[in-house]
Amino acid sequence: MMRTLGTLFAAGVALACVPLLKLPAFYESFLYLVFFWIVLATSWNILSGYSGYFSFGHGAFFGTGMYATATLTTKAGMPFLWTLPVCAALAALFGVAIGAVVFRAGRLRGELFALLTLAVSYVLATVILNTPIDGGPGVSLAAVAIPQLAPTAPSTFYLLALAAAIVTLAIAYAVQRAALGTGLFAIHDDEDVAEVLGVPTYRYKLAALALSCALAGAAGGIHALFVSYVTVGETFSIVVPLSVVLMSVLGGTRHWLGPAIGAALVTALLYIFTASDYAVAGRAAVGLILIVVILFMPQGVLGRFVRRKPKPASGLEFAHANARIQDLTPSVTPSGETLLSAHGVSKSFAGVQALAGVDLEVRRGEIVGLVGPNGSGKSTLINVVSGHYRADGGRIAFAGHDLTALSAHRIARLGIARTYQIPRPFAHLSVHENVTLAAMFGHAGLPRAAAEREARRWLEYTALAPKAAALPRELNLHQRKFLELARALAARPQLLLLDEVLSGLTPAEIDGAIALVKDIRAQGASIVFVEHVMRAVMQLADRIVVLSYGRVIAEGSPAAVMGRTAVVEAYLGKAHA
Amino acid sequence: MLELERIRVSYGAAPAIVDVSLAIGERELVCVVGPNGAGKTTLINTIAGLHRIDAGAMRLEGRDVSRLPAHRFCEQGVAIVPEGRRLFTGMTVRENLELGAYRRAARARRVQSLERVCALFPALAQCLHRPAGALSGGQQQMVAIGRALMAEPRLLLLDEPSLGLAPLIVTALFETIRTIAAGGVTMLLVEQNVALALEVASRAYVLEEGRIAAAGSPAELSRRPEIRRAYLGLTEEAR
Repeated sequence: MMRTLGTLFAAGVALACVPLLKLPAFYESFLYLVFFWIVLATSWNILSGYSGYFSFGHGAFFGTGMYATATLTTKAGMPFLWTLPVCAALAALFGVAIGAVVFRAGRLRGELFALLTLAVSYVLATVILNTPIDGGPGVSLAAVAIPQLAPTAPSTFYLLALAAAIVTLAIAYAVQRAALGTGLFAIHDDEDVAEVLGVPTYRYKLAALALSCALAGAAGGIHALFVSYVTVGETFSIVVPLSVVLMSVLGGTRHWLGPAIGAALVTALLYIFTASDYAVAGRAAVGLILIVVILFMPQGVLGRFVRRKPKPASGLEFAHANARIQDLTPSVTPSGETLLSAHGVSKSFAGVQALAGVDLEVRRGEIVGLVGPNGSGKSTLINVVSGHYRADGGRIAFAGHDLTALSAHRIARLGIARTYQIPRPFAHLSVHENVTLAAMFGHAGLPRAAAEREARRWLEYTALAPKAAALPRELNLHQRKFLELARALAARPQLLLLDEVLSGLTPAEIDGAIALVKDIRAQGASIVFVEHVMRAVMQLADRIVVLSYGRVIAEGSPAAVMGRTAVVEAYLGKAHA
Repeated sequence: MLELERIRVSYGAAPAIVDVSLAIGERELVCVVGPNGAGKTTLINTIAGLHRIDAGAMRLEGRDVSRLPAHRFCEQGVAIVPEGRRLFTGMTVRENLELGAYRRAARARRVQSLERVCALFPALAQCLHRPAGALSGGQQQMVAIGRALMAEPRLLLLDEPSLGLAPLIVTALFETIRTIAAGGVTMLLVEQNVALALEVASRAYVLEEGRIAAAGSPAELSRRPEIRRAYLGLTEEAR
């Protein structure tokens, strides 16, 4: 990590010497534009590329910076350089204010988020145009003193933009490597699952938005003085939001350096054509290149050439990882202590009562089988306990904590992990990264390096180690189910909720899975599992709870419960009686 | 009715199905069993026209259909219940089912077909107006099966229809499969509940690592010790 940052700063220092060459001002102005677009595209990418929240409102935050500098320098007489931190802060504040509303309003993504952010920039433009901030004629910064960072004004702007670009790239890189970036990539693929694995999705999105806006605001501040005449029409035109999207997509949105490469390519191309007599041809060429890239390199130039490096763990490492589960989780002796207690939990969807007052107790070290007809509320109960849904009524307590009002990521942190009936891996993350993420954000809460080692162990444990570098889509159903399991286990949960992990497996595979679940329990984790494979239910469960129409209709030892007439009629059918 | 001749299907460089020859006669119920990752789903998707065949030939009623696009298969009377349901989750259950009757031959009778599906899955009759995405997993599986039946298919492809269904419904489902078969629909069934599948099938294939490892009548196959061990396990004792 430090090496990359070092290289980046060294490149910055080297580039800072360019003005000493005393090149014609033309080159410095051109490079200024390259750096300017690198800042804008890269900052856009921190939110939109990493987390997949595609914003068309980057112009609003850039414009906030433009007008902040224009107003403060001309009307308040503030020195130009001082206005830059103000630009960043104002833009970030504006972004957070919008994000605090938008990100709470459920899953506002895709075209809705794009349109909403676009609307925000139009609203802002209208406000600025019709208030003394601008009022119509535009603001001239001709009288504002340009700081003497270098002998000439073009050199000064060159250095300012260079510094901004280096800082932006360093931030983009640091975010990608940090837990924040990992969380954002998880949000990109499946926000619900990210939250359930312990990623504080709301906070992360706000943080990414704030960073993205602050950098765009600072770039706006610099650009205001560069153009020296700020108008609403130019500032809030569609050019900025559209260009940053084009550049990022062209370069590759899943890599911190992608947008910078796209920005450099597009700016250079446009400049080459503008300098000659073919400005129109330049635009057409950029459009054509973009079409080709989208068709043939949907991950962008960088995504195409920088293949995800498979981290083939050396044989030694894997041999080491072959440790059994005993070494990993502190062994807890099963006790009578209540771990989870749910009372009168109810939940309804659009008038359909999925849970109508369910009571469920799970003791430490216990395996509880949850069975019942389809639609009886089994999965809903798991969704409510894991925090995916909020219960309409009732109380849920877990290890001394009240879960009723907690968000899913907090519940995950407390030590509850779950699997999904139909596996929901993060599609763009490798098998190993999928599991690493759970170890970082779940109950284990490990730092990255430790989480990577932990993930290796669980991949070994679930026999997925040879597939560590593969993407989830390369796995078959059996392996995807075990990936779900590995992800849940890597969180080192106290309570494991398994939603039909055995369905779709052959009898031989089921035997293997049953042994695995027994082994997991032997180490002290409590398990609640939903299952229709009766053989497994009878073999695994200490206790069975039968749901029907959202109510518990029977509870007790497997043999006793399965013999009851009500259970046979509602669930098993006569063939099993 | 359907004939596969030494077909080969790959994902990129990795072959998923190699040299598979298979024939399904008119009104037959053929089942394919095998471990996960053997290529069963690929096989069924290929027959539905969702994968391109690299080598070999596929014939439907004597016509070469190796290069036919998927929607034309549907028009030919081939319907599929895909793995993982693949419902239109934003549409209501009724809309999902009615889309199943999209093929020209089935459109006219869709009211009767809907009644039949509702009789088969009474749980669906109560929630026709709800969005399919709001149903439980097992109920969604019922919609997927119902949607395929709405097409009044002549060849029905079932990819693990019992997945996620409660035992009571599984029993009912297999009774239904029998009924549909008796009604003259040709069927190809991929199923992990091997004991039940072999009970209803007239013929079975075992697929392992993309190749046909064994074929024969259910009685014959279930006598073989390696198949009893790997696929029947203890399923006879309790399913």
